[in-house]
Formats: sequence, structure tokens, C-alpha cells
Amino acid sequence: MKLGVFMSSFESGSDVLDRLTAEKLGIILVGNGVYHAAVKDSGKESPIFKKSANFYVLAEDLESRGFNASNVDSRAKVVNYGDVVDLIFNDYEKIIWI
Amino acid sequence: MATIKKLAFVVRSLPYKTEASRLAFTHAIASQTVEIYLEDGENIEPVLCFIGNGVMNCLKNQQAMKHYGITSNEQHMKNSLLLDLKVMICKEDLDKFGIKEDALIMDAEDIGGETKAQIVPYSEIQKELEAVDHIQLF
Amino acid sequence: MGKLTIGCFSSLVGSLSLDFGVKLSQAAVQKGHTVDFWVSSNATMLSKKGQRAFKDYSALAKPLSELFATGKFKATACEACAEARGYGKEDTMEGWIRKSMDWYLASAFSADRVLLMGGD
Repeated sequence: MKLGVFMSSFESGSDVLDRLTAEKLGIILVGNGVYHAAVKDSGKESPIFKKSANFYVLAEDLESRGFNASNVDSRAKVVNYGDVVDLIFNDYEKIIWI
Repeated sequence: MATIKKLAFVVRSLPYKTEASRLAFTHAIASQTVEIYLEDGENIEPVLCFIGNGVMNCLKNQQAMKHYGITSNEQHMKNSLLLDLKVMICKEDLDKFGIKEDALIMDAEDIGGETKAQIVPYSEIQKELEAVDHIQLF
Repeated sequence: MGKLTIGCFSSLVGSLSLDFGVKLSQAAVQKGHTVDFWVSSNATMLSKKGQRAFKDYSALAKPLSELFATGKFKATACEACAEARGYGKEDTMEGWIRKSMDWYLASAFSADRVLLMGGD
């Protein structure tokens, strides 16, 4: 399956993410989920980046929290709401919210 | 030709502190009356999956009515089984918490139900998630 | 063009999940898609009329009115959830309808994508 996962929390979501497999996986960081891409906890990157996935960060939620694109892990692409709509309809057939 | 859409209701939340797991039950059970909005031959087939902390919703002897004055999730679980909803409980997560099958609500025989809950490895739940049309996490 | 069904349980004030859902709806409608928006539990507060906009709280009445005006956006509140929180049909914002949970499932039936924001 082609699965888009919205991560809205800074918690790991490991109960879902660790075991989840998808032929194509996208992780879209929104709300407090943007911290996964913008900060390092004890110098370590977020465990979500261990997943083989395409990563996206919502610009509006990033900027609201005092960050910008230059703070974001290079694996994550900064997107706007219009881009998110295109991801939902064009790239992923199922979407979930953590 | 019949068109059945499968919806997964995946419960990962603990009961009672938030309404999330209860809403998974009530929305899944609402599939029993969805036909009023659909054409002949169309229907929704729900599957309830319990993973992570969500397995706590499946424990027996919940006394929420006694202490909180609200229907327990145990009762919602039994109603789900009474209505023949498919219920899958993750074996690895039960093992992690040391929960044995005899501690779980596995059937609704006491209210006339025939369907049983299934304890399955996560791989079976993953297969189900791949088979459904839409996945919802609670 | 597709149909997106969004479900949300989070409260109007104290969680930004509804704000996300409304902004996502705006973006989807702007691109020509249709959106069904379902609120249950604490999210039913989104459908209450008479909300005042304060700068410290989410204020979504205006964008909702604009979304309704597009004709590509439908919003429905869980009737029992609203009644349990003490407001009746007469308290509901214009444009909203109130139904039971089977409405949401029927919407999901015909949706191309379903996003259920159900955790918080």
C-alpha cells in the first residue's frame, strides 16, 4: 500500500510506526510533529528518520514554532497546505494521523 | 453488484482518560445503520484492531458504570462482537504487557453473540490494513 | 477531482487539530476537490454558533462560512456528542447539519481519501 502518515505529535508513535510497512511510505510532519525534523534530542536525530520514507514538513507549523527551512533535516521537504493536498490525492492511497 | 468498503478502526489509546477508544467502538458499531445512506448492495465492513496500549480496552471486568456512571468499553466490545464485527487483538502487545487470553473479552456469549475476538500476530493486522480501503487511528 | 472526508474529535480551543482540518479543507477546495468534514466528541464545539474571535483562541467561524459558500464543503456534527455537551440544534452555526455517526461512515464510503484525526 501507499501510505501517508501525518505525525502531529513529538512523541515517537513507535507503537504504530516501528511495525508499519508500506510499499511507499510518506511521513508528513505537522503541528508538534515538526520538532522531529527541527531539533535533536540529546544530539540524536528523531527515530522516525530510521524509517524508509519520504519526509515532509508543513512550513506554517514550522514557522509558528520559531523555525524555518534552514533548521530542517535535509531529508525532509518543506511543504505548504496545497502541497499536502496533492500528496494526499496523488501520492498516497491511505492516510493516517498519529 | 455489491460494493463493500472496508474500514479499519485501529485503537492505540488507553480507555477512559480520553474518548478516543470509545469513539472507535461507537463509530464502528454505526456501520449497522449506514445502509440508510447507501444504495442497494453497498455497505461498510468495519474491522476493529487493538495495538499498543489499545489492548487495555479488551480487558475483562471493567467497572466503569459502577465508578464513572458510563458504559464500559467492555460492553462496547461485547456489542461489537454481538454484531459480528471483526475484532483483532495484537499478540505481541499482549505479551509485552503479560496479558493472557483469559483476561480478555473474547466473546459476547452472555448476550447471545457468536463471533469471537481473534488474538493475532501484528503481521496479520498489517495484512488487514493493506486490505482495507481506509485506515483510522484512534 | 476527488473527495476528502475529514473526521476530528479534538476541541476547538486547546488543540490545533481542527485548525489543521479547516486549513486542509480550504486548500483542497481551492484545488477543486470536495470535502466532507465530520466532528464528534469535543470537536462538535466547532459547530456552535455565536463564537467570538479572541486572539488567544482559535477562531474558525469565518473560514467555515467561506468554505460553506464554495458549495464544495459539507460539515456535519455528531448529534449525540453535541447534545451531551448541552447544546441543541438551535445553537448550531448556519451551514452545519447534525447526524449520527453512520453519516460519517457513509461519507467515508464514497470518499477517495479519509483522514481521521482521532488521537488527541
